[in-house]
Amino acid sequence: MLILLSGLLIVTSCSVDELPAPDVAIQYMLGGETTIYSSGPDAFTFPLPNLDEAGLAEHFLSDAAFEQQFVSAPAEQFGGLGPVYNHTSCNGCHVRNGRSSIPQFAGDPMSGLLLRLSVPGFDEHGGPLGAPGFGGQLQNKSIYGVQAEGTIAVSEEQKIMTYADGSSVILTHPTYSIADAYMALPENLMISPRNAPPVFGLGLLEAITEADILSHADPADQNGDGVSGHPNTVYDPYTHLMQLGRFGWKAESPSAKHQSEAAAHNDMGLTTPAFPIEHCDGQSNCTEGLQDVVDVDDATIELFAHYFQTLAVPAQRNYNDPQVKKGAALFEEIGCGACHISTYTTGVHPIASLSYQTIHPYTDLLLHDMGDDLADHRPAYAAGGTEWRTAPLWGIGLTQVVNTRATFLHDGRAKTIKEAILWHGGESLASRNAFMQLSAEDRKALLAFLNSL
Amino acid sequence: MKKQAYILFAAGTFLFAGCDSTETPDITETDFSPVLNNIGTNVIVATYSDLAVKADALHTAIMTLSADPSALNLEAARTAWIATRSPWEQSEGFLFGPVDQEGLDPALDSWPVNVTDLENVLGSADAITESFLALQEGTLKGFHTIEFLLWGESGNKTIDEFTAREFEYLVAASGTLHNDAEQLFALWNPADGNYINNLIAAGNGSAIYVSQKSALEELTNALIIIADEVANGKINDPFVQEDVTLEESRFSNNSKLDFADNMRSILNIYSGTFNGAGTGEGLDDIISEQDPELHAHILEDIEAAITAIESIPGTFTTAIFGHPTEVAAAQDAVRHLQEILEQDMLPIVSNL
Repeated sequence: MLILLSGLLIVTSCSVDELPAPDVAIQYMLGGETTIYSSGPDAFTFPLPNLDEAGLAEHFLSDAAFEQQFVSAPAEQFGGLGPVYNHTSCNGCHVRNGRSSIPQFAGDPMSGLLLRLSVPGFDEHGGPLGAPGFGGQLQNKSIYGVQAEGTIAVSEEQKIMTYADGSSVILTHPTYSIADAYMALPENLMISPRNAPPVFGLGLLEAITEADILSHADPADQNGDGVSGHPNTVYDPYTHLMQLGRFGWKAESPSAKHQSEAAAHNDMGLTTPAFPIEHCDGQSNCTEGLQDVVDVDDATIELFAHYFQTLAVPAQRNYNDPQVKKGAALFEEIGCGACHISTYTTGVHPIASLSYQTIHPYTDLLLHDMGDDLADHRPAYAAGGTEWRTAPLWGIGLTQVVNTRATFLHDGRAKTIKEAILWHGGESLASRNAFMQLSAEDRKALLAFLNSL
Repeated sequence: MKKQAYILFAAGTFLFAGCDSTETPDITETDFSPVLNNIGTNVIVATYSDLAVKADALHTAIMTLSADPSALNLEAARTAWIATRSPWEQSEGFLFGPVDQEGLDPALDSWPVNVTDLENVLGSADAITESFLALQEGTLKGFHTIEFLLWGESGNKTIDEFTAREFEYLVAASGTLHNDAEQLFALWNPADGNYINNLIAAGNGSAIYVSQKSALEELTNALIIIADEVANGKINDPFVQEDVTLEESRFSNNSKLDFADNMRSILNIYSGTFNGAGTGEGLDDIISEQDPELHAHILEDIEAAITAIESIPGTFTTAIFGHPTEVAAAQDAVRHLQEILEQDMLPIVSNL
């Protein structure tokens, strides 16, 4: 067995020097020159390999900030948590920088899923209107002596889907609601569950030019392919302008910095330069920790952002495997690649390592109608109640190596990549149906490709 | 069939990872399962087993202290805390798997302590029990909360300063620490959660490691991570900012021992032994075969780091201001170790 193994390795190992077609050799470096080579549980934890010494030092500083737990004020260090919050640190939700798990029971502390809330209407910038008494999301934890806004309750429903070849699969999906609310919930409350997404590669996504992203938009479906992606346009608190949204499940965040500052504020309850007032201000449960201080300064927010801007993307594995190659072809053939666009060359980014990289994130960063099954019916800026941003697929095959409990899609309903495909509807329905028409062997090939990413 | 599938998979992995390097191919004939098995069994599981045993003793010592508060029993409880802290710090060279994925690291070793909430809990009428603490954040339990209560903020708390509520808290917190340590051990234990099998079966059915190399890389990276954390976090933050409130384990003045035990954690994984047990099949087997000179350097650097840390005079708190030269020397020694692990050892493992 061992001799056979080594023999094969040597043969393959030698042939690779002569063999790879140039396009393949480039393609597997999903993050261009920033690609790292790891297929283990730490695959999402490495800095960009092309950072200079100062950039690397900054990355390690930011790594510590990302892990730092915050505590109630007043405190010698790291005060300002809450009074109501979702987690005490960034990596509390983003486990090993990957996807989170959904609650296994009400109040599961290991879950990084949160509920976004709103009521019909718009805030002063055209964004979602916070729910009276609750704001824009449910903070389900609290410092001692303060009542949390409520807990996340889960119930499960089932759906059976049948392939063309007659085999079928039972899909379960969670329905989330709010239990133990500290006050009556608004009648017209809209709830959108959001599982914590992976945070590596965000710098590269930030470095894709706006023109490049907009070039893929086709809101009126003029090319008649059934796919009508359009950008989100969101309020940027730094420029006070409406900007292209790139991050978050509905592309509600324009930049890595905004994403981190909003998360520090909403998820941890920290007051920050851009969000100096506690998110629970004015609520009857918001009684502690309201010192008139900014809990974290701009430098700390920049550090949070720097961390995921400089987290590298792992290389594709097994890219030369015939099954993977076949799967890659099928991926394009059945139309997955219409939204999960494979290739970009980044523009200029303040972090030089991210500039002018040829990358393969498999996303268009645009919004698409994904059908009623996935709908949250909670609009956010230009994103409608059935629309979601195309999720990047790089690193997706390592999701459950990094976190064995992690699941897929915005509400974490899909336990496997296959289930995630089967939940696709709306603009992606034709592709989903095409997947279901494939032979078992071809379905396996497609999944082998996705797992290689 | 299964074996064949595995071979293709492994070969595929090697394709992209190892190909453009010029390593000698004979190393691929080596089966590393004895190394992985020994590290898993006799270092990782053995460390967690020791942690669980010591945590049990800590809980017992604290119950004795609570039942019979005396200076002697306080001293015994503090000694038990320090004894429990040692295997934990010696486990920080492998902070992956259940400790990370099940939230046990924050439950056991969160820092800083949420002193404001702690005082509020102590001042409340809530019963302080293990089930109460199970629902609290890590910053309200674990090593540092117990340390804060045993030593006090300035490290010189006397037995008559303890309140009944503090004893109640200490009993619950040490019971919770013991439960969490037992859970951590159980999750790795082959007779229970069997996480160890991911290491042993790496590249041969492991859901986590597609190859033995991938497991060995994780082990090596974990050593680099703790060396980095000691040099650039634990030592650097309080030292460079001249701020003792950034020092972990300052209430007990255990910081130097923490740092040295972190270095021992590196030594244990590298040399494949813990407390003198184990076959000695560690990462050193790989390095000594590939580069005997590097192997000697790594051993020297680990020893040098431990010596430099232990040579800091007095407590780490006072040394930050009183002996900056020795603190800087210790920091340099750990940085040097980190560099050799990262720049010289990791490439060898990555090119296996």
